[in-house]
Amino acid sequence: MNDFKLYAEANDWGLLVPEISLAFGALLLLCREALRKQGRESGGGLAFLLQGGLLVYFVARYLFFDPRPDSAGESAFNGMIQQSFPADVMRCFFLGCAFLTSLFANPGLRERRLPQAEFHALVSLAAASMMLLVQSNHFLMLFVSLETVAVCFYVLVSYHRGSPYSLEAGLKYLVFGALSSAILLFGIALLYGTAASWSGGTAPSDPLSFTMLEQFVAANSDSLAVRAGTAFVLAGLAFKLGAAPFQAWVPDVYQGAPTAVTAYLAVASKSAGFVVLFNLVTGPLFGLREFLIPLLSLVAIITILFGNLGALTQTNVKRLMGFSGVAHAGYLLVGIIAAIGMHPDVPEKSVFWAIVFYLLSYSLASYGVFGVMGVLAPTEDADQPRSLYSSLAQKQPFLAFTLAVGLGSLAGIPPLAGFIGKLLLFVVAFQAELYGLLAVMVMGVVIAIYYYFAWIRETVFPPLPSLDSSDKEPQVLWSPQFPSLLLACILGLLTLTTILLGFYQSSLGQSF
Amino acid sequence: MDGVLGIEEYLVVASILFCIGLLGVILRRNVLLILMCLELMLNAVNLALVAFARYSGNMDGVILTFFAITVAAAEVAIGLAILVALYRRRKSIFLQDLNLLGR
Repeated sequence: MNDFKLYAEANDWGLLVPEISLAFGALLLLCREALRKQGRESGGGLAFLLQGGLLVYFVARYLFFDPRPDSAGESAFNGMIQQSFPADVMRCFFLGCAFLTSLFANPGLRERRLPQAEFHALVSLAAASMMLLVQSNHFLMLFVSLETVAVCFYVLVSYHRGSPYSLEAGLKYLVFGALSSAILLFGIALLYGTAASWSGGTAPSDPLSFTMLEQFVAANSDSLAVRAGTAFVLAGLAFKLGAAPFQAWVPDVYQGAPTAVTAYLAVASKSAGFVVLFNLVTGPLFGLREFLIPLLSLVAIITILFGNLGALTQTNVKRLMGFSGVAHAGYLLVGIIAAIGMHPDVPEKSVFWAIVFYLLSYSLASYGVFGVMGVLAPTEDADQPRSLYSSLAQKQPFLAFTLAVGLGSLAGIPPLAGFIGKLLLFVVAFQAELYGLLAVMVMGVVIAIYYYFAWIRETVFPPLPSLDSSDKEPQVLWSPQFPSLLLACILGLLTLTTILLGFYQSSLGQSF
Repeated sequence: MDGVLGIEEYLVVASILFCIGLLGVILRRNVLLILMCLELMLNAVNLALVAFARYSGNMDGVILTFFAITVAAAEVAIGLAILVALYRRRKSIFLQDLNLLGR
């Protein structure tokens, strides 16, 4: 009886109030949907309220009540959850992503007469599980929350269930996702098995916990089973990141998914993967750094080249964003490698903050671009050729400006946030003496300017008149409508933040 | 150890099952069979986990197995739902017919 009491007290539920309330909010939305009277509009207002409210709660907590970002953090649920300031920042980040996704998706859902409440419930659940994922300190927690995110995304990707594109994307995502989770689980099983039956020393009592695995892996860094297990775990994570050799699904799924979901997938899911990867390589797997650095370097080089070269020939803008998302994952991997290279020497997690700043600038720019794409999307979401944007600047200067700032930031053009993000990654890669990878990164950035600016050129300049006069007039059947006022305000805010972060980065700017 | 199975035998069986599943996912063209092969892979891992747990006396692996079974069930439920919806649209569940994206 006493043991139970001890365990119950170790479960500090209060620390997880945001995740629990998000999950309950999602359930409440579903219950209300089930009891809804026929013919009445289903809405997701509750989800907005909850996501926005929790965001305010986090910011207020740090501003007014609990301002100690330097504390070591708290461990709860017998070491399953490790809370810290960086994890809290990421929790805010995911809430913000969920809020923007719900907001951007709403007009499209209403137009297609798809149920809204279920969509917002899934977005909230995915956010809650990503928030748990970045705090997990145990492979059981990691596996369960990773899979909850994946399952939510399978449904979200195929949410336009009348569209064969969306369904096909959902199926491809599911097959690749289930494959990667099997590989990840195999890696976890190998690590667990070798740690639990270790005969060389005292076997760890909880071989799935990151803290205990760290000591075991450091003592057995040349064991084949440990290395194979690590490689399998990394392969499973590479799928989430869209990194080589598991990047094949990215362009297809990004193209087929509803535009708002593509943004959520590109930003939140990828960020969650990178934070988990960072926690793993600087925690339990750090003992294998001699093995990890060459492995991840190879992966990063292939990822950067694949993403950038693949994007060159794309005319569908959603596929282009898919390939460019792969390229960005490659740049972030270089940051992860720098983190391994400098781990014990550089305190205060300066590499981590460089990665977070990159993710932030990437998310601001991506949501701007995807927001514009959502406004301009034709009825068939997946079919967005670049010609759809021709002379947008004359028809909708505001949308064209938002798009240009977003694309410029993704390309890394100086006064914008994306440039500073890339610069910070270059600086940490330089400090970690990764000169070869730096060269590949610079090459990738140069290639990227070409395809981003081809898109900007399409929006600014009218298409050249065709030499073949028998060719029919360019169809101008499509006239872009101005987004709702709220959406326009949010897009304006994203653009403004992208520009401002390029000039002022608070304490991060002092690192150079 | 005559007549008694050691942990190696279980692991060899688990690895063979895992590889059969992986090959099936790569080579098969019917999506239903691919989903079955994915289940085979997850169950191979479950076998390895249970064997590890039994031989080391640490029960965490058994608990992880329960979660893995639940996750596999959720994945397959969604997979079948998507497949049914897709079949209604495309009248096919073969991979070579599912090639709308990227054209």
